[in-house]
Amino acid sequence: MTELDNAADEEGSPPDVSVAGVAALSALALAACGGGGGGSSTPPPTQNPPPPVTPPITITDAEAARFLLQAQFSVTDADLTAVKNNGYSAWLTSSYNLAPGQTGVAWLDSRGHNSITQEQRYFWPQFGDFMIWNQLLAGPDQMRKRLALALSEFFVVSLSPIDGFYPPYVIGAYWDVLTANAYGNFRQLLERITLNAGMGFYLNTKGNLKEDANGRQPDENYAREIMQLFSIGLYELNPDGTHRLDANNQPIETYGQSDITNLARVFTGYDWDYLANGGTFTTVAWHSYRVPSTHFATNQMWFNAANHSNLAVTFLGTTIPANTPGPEALRIALDRLFNHPNTGPFFARQMIQRLVTSNPTPAYVGRVAAAFANNGSGVRGDLKAVWTAILTDAEARTLPGAGDTLSGKLREPVVRWVQWARTVGTTSTNGDYQIYDLSGSDTSLGQSPLRSPSVFNFFRPGYVPPNTAIATAGKQAPEFQLLNETTTAGYINFLQWSTRGGYNDVKPAYTALLAIAHDIPAVLAWLNLRLTANQLSVTTLALLQTTLTAFNVTATSSDNAKLDMLASACFLILCSPEYLVQK
Amino acid sequence: MSSHDKWTRRVVLQRAMQLGAMGVATPLAINLAAIGEAAAFDSTDYKALVCLFMYGGNDYANTVIPYDNANYNLYSAIRGGGAGQAAGGIAYGRAQLDATALTPVVAQTLTDNLQYALAPQLTGLKSLWDAGRLAVQLNVGPLVQPTTLLQYQSTNRIANPLPPKLFSHNDQQSVWQSNGTEGSTVGWGGRLGDIAMSSNSTNSLLTCISASGNAVFVAGRDALQYQTSPSGAIKINALNTPLRDTLNTLISRTSTHVLENEYAIVTRRSMAMEGVVNGALANVNPATSFGTGNPLANQLKIVARLIGARAALGMRRQVFFVSLGGFDNHNLLMQDHPNLMTRVNAALSAFYAATVELGVADKVTTFTASDFGRTLSSNADGSDHGWGSHHFVMGGAVNGGRFYGTAPHVSIQTDDQVGQGRLLPSTSVDQFAATLARWFGCNAGELPGILPNVGNFPNTNLGFV
Repeated sequence: MTELDNAADEEGSPPDVSVAGVAALSALALAACGGGGGGSSTPPPTQNPPPPVTPPITITDAEAARFLLQAQFSVTDADLTAVKNNGYSAWLTSSYNLAPGQTGVAWLDSRGHNSITQEQRYFWPQFGDFMIWNQLLAGPDQMRKRLALALSEFFVVSLSPIDGFYPPYVIGAYWDVLTANAYGNFRQLLERITLNAGMGFYLNTKGNLKEDANGRQPDENYAREIMQLFSIGLYELNPDGTHRLDANNQPIETYGQSDITNLARVFTGYDWDYLANGGTFTTVAWHSYRVPSTHFATNQMWFNAANHSNLAVTFLGTTIPANTPGPEALRIALDRLFNHPNTGPFFARQMIQRLVTSNPTPAYVGRVAAAFANNGSGVRGDLKAVWTAILTDAEARTLPGAGDTLSGKLREPVVRWVQWARTVGTTSTNGDYQIYDLSGSDTSLGQSPLRSPSVFNFFRPGYVPPNTAIATAGKQAPEFQLLNETTTAGYINFLQWSTRGGYNDVKPAYTALLAIAHDIPAVLAWLNLRLTANQLSVTTLALLQTTLTAFNVTATSSDNAKLDMLASACFLILCSPEYLVQK
Repeated sequence: MSSHDKWTRRVVLQRAMQLGAMGVATPLAINLAAIGEAAAFDSTDYKALVCLFMYGGNDYANTVIPYDNANYNLYSAIRGGGAGQAAGGIAYGRAQLDATALTPVVAQTLTDNLQYALAPQLTGLKSLWDAGRLAVQLNVGPLVQPTTLLQYQSTNRIANPLPPKLFSHNDQQSVWQSNGTEGSTVGWGGRLGDIAMSSNSTNSLLTCISASGNAVFVAGRDALQYQTSPSGAIKINALNTPLRDTLNTLISRTSTHVLENEYAIVTRRSMAMEGVVNGALANVNPATSFGTGNPLANQLKIVARLIGARAALGMRRQVFFVSLGGFDNHNLLMQDHPNLMTRVNAALSAFYAATVELGVADKVTTFTASDFGRTLSSNADGSDHGWGSHHFVMGGAVNGGRFYGTAPHVSIQTDDQVGQGRLLPSTSVDQFAATLARWFGCNAGELPGILPNVGNFPNTNLGFV
């Protein structure tokens, strides 16, 4: 199997993998399969000759796996078959149409984390960690979750500073905005995020007050970050994401302090909505204050005109007249950011970095930004068009050649571990999903979902690791910002025990591998395909073969003996740089 | 490493100064490779420079606080203080500042006859001030050249260059640490390490050490930033298992793929240094208590132990980086900032005491830094991004109990602030850093290679150490 796949790769990728080429071939393939017309044996004399029959593109196992590992967390047998049979675009369409799984808030409810008891668990944050691990590890809609994770590293909110009532619900409702809108429109997502309770807490829109006569000014945090991080970025961009330069060859700043101070007025008057949609307060014996229900976290923030600034707002060349009602001012402001020519390339480049490669060519960025600008039906901001453009682009679909030594990206620790867990299959023994914050670098994964240390995410898009050949080559490698002497060792130590024992109640099953554990070459082929899309070298496979054979597992060995070997196999692969760098 | 052009030091320094004169805030990764040839420190002694970075932008106005009646009243009015000098808004009550009011060891007259108090939580720093071991640098921040308000407001950025991306967290963190915006790869602490590496011939890898994650401050052109955890170097457990040899091969082999290779380089380095570092640390356990639950104290504790192990490790010159986050107090300033000050106070006080215990108090100089200061005015319960700020310098060699620099007016209208009390720095980071670099052992000729704009400032030794 492996040899056949390698042979196919050596023959080269499907001949014409430009976007247009893929689309054209797909169309022809469907036409050939779909059997257009052609019933009668004597064509009318004026008919054009039938188009040449082009065989459908052959997608190898490795190519399909490589695609799936960009689009979601893991390779399933069903997805592998579907991609090979139907092609990338069709698989994406079916994935977009997959029913969304259980929301984070619904899971929290199902576990009773909204209960009000004297133990006061409604203050405990760790169920927020449990929630997101459950979201990532369970459920069939893993592409939606993968993309939402990427969005969570763009529209960042972190559980770490959230305190007060129900932190898990605050972070859960924020996460649910991302999953609900992952296949929607950027403009709507931007608005939902702006009015989200968790984001309101994180960047201070919650309770933001208009100016007063004593010199108090509106809080500027969200106004600054929505421009710097969530829409247009710091510098004017060409459609391909490169910096526009002025007459002195200098980058051009997109906004100044005045823009921020003005825009901050728009985000005044908002606060948590405790009562809409059936929110309640409960009197309890152990507090002098009442305990709210979780609705303030799931409701959008409500608008109080009394706290809203009525001053005119002039930012980015747009003026919102004085006394414009708040919701209308918000609409104008968000439209201005959404329609700014920067937003497409700024967003596109970072999403490419999250999913495919740290160093996309400007042309690739330009193609994805073009899809953002117009999905083909005149709609701007269609996220499905963006994901499709990213994942079906030739630059994503083409396996980098051996000479492209700076290709790909370092996989994030969270994505590595979720990939392993979904690949070998995990279940919870009791439904708790008691996986805590794994940010600790010396004994743990060194990263945890929704636990970014700041609104600037775990790593910066422009991060260049100092004193490296990556820096010398002028390339970026964002995920390397998490790599150092401490985290590299902590990660290995964490893998060593978690690949065997899981984490608390979340246990690995290794079902498919147990069935073939006696056949080391089969085990390696299975893992090589599903963990690395066959990117382990011949040398590595030979070394692993020798090492795993020494476990002496036979068909009649105990399950424990088999699991020891299988976990070791996963451990060794997950520690290997050939795995760690996704190409 | 690829081959470098062999530039003479003279050419390199001239080129660096030319770039500085162009008004570009010059990043430090320009091909100054030849600086590595510069004279090594003739160091038979030991010195360590420690940077405490407060991430988020520390609120200067509630750290070094106007205390004399006239200026306190101005502070209180701007920050929403209560009647009768009571606390209110984001202003402390004056009585809360009595215990930490600062009297310089030698009489000083500051702007508007200002007297200052430290934040009430900084009792340990107050003691260090009284003992002459803590100095306060007033209104320091990134500048390309001395800048007036008119120059700041001018649109002519050729004649009046400014540091890039003011008021932006990530960029100002990078500018403070490395003179360049996000993406910069060489910090001025790392540049000090470059020059000092040859003094540390046994373990030059341990010249620049971070105890708080990757930070460009301690990345040099040649000097690498070595990461330590609060418990020391992390040992890879699996190297004790039957998989040892296979794992060792897989995680440390070279690769033609650059990203794979760079990953393995870090792992090899981790393994190589673990035994060395932990072996040296095993015998260094100062009695000074750093308490528990204070992440900054935990970092400074491992720094203290590493300093204690300097002889075993063969170190003569080291640069350390520690940090604390959470300073971006747009809201809940009066709830959160005191907790931060408490942690800073406890950690710095313990660290100084440990250096005394280890007999190196005058060989270790610690300074604070942050993205920026904040506004003087309030947004109801917090402050917003600013620029210049007040910072501390601590150590046995410090000329402490004194203020350095120019005290700013307590105002949101004067020409030493750029609106809402965001301070226009009157001392540059370059001057601040140059003073520390001189103490560390650099001579004047080496400064432009470390701080490319330093030639734009008249005084490059502020005298606090």
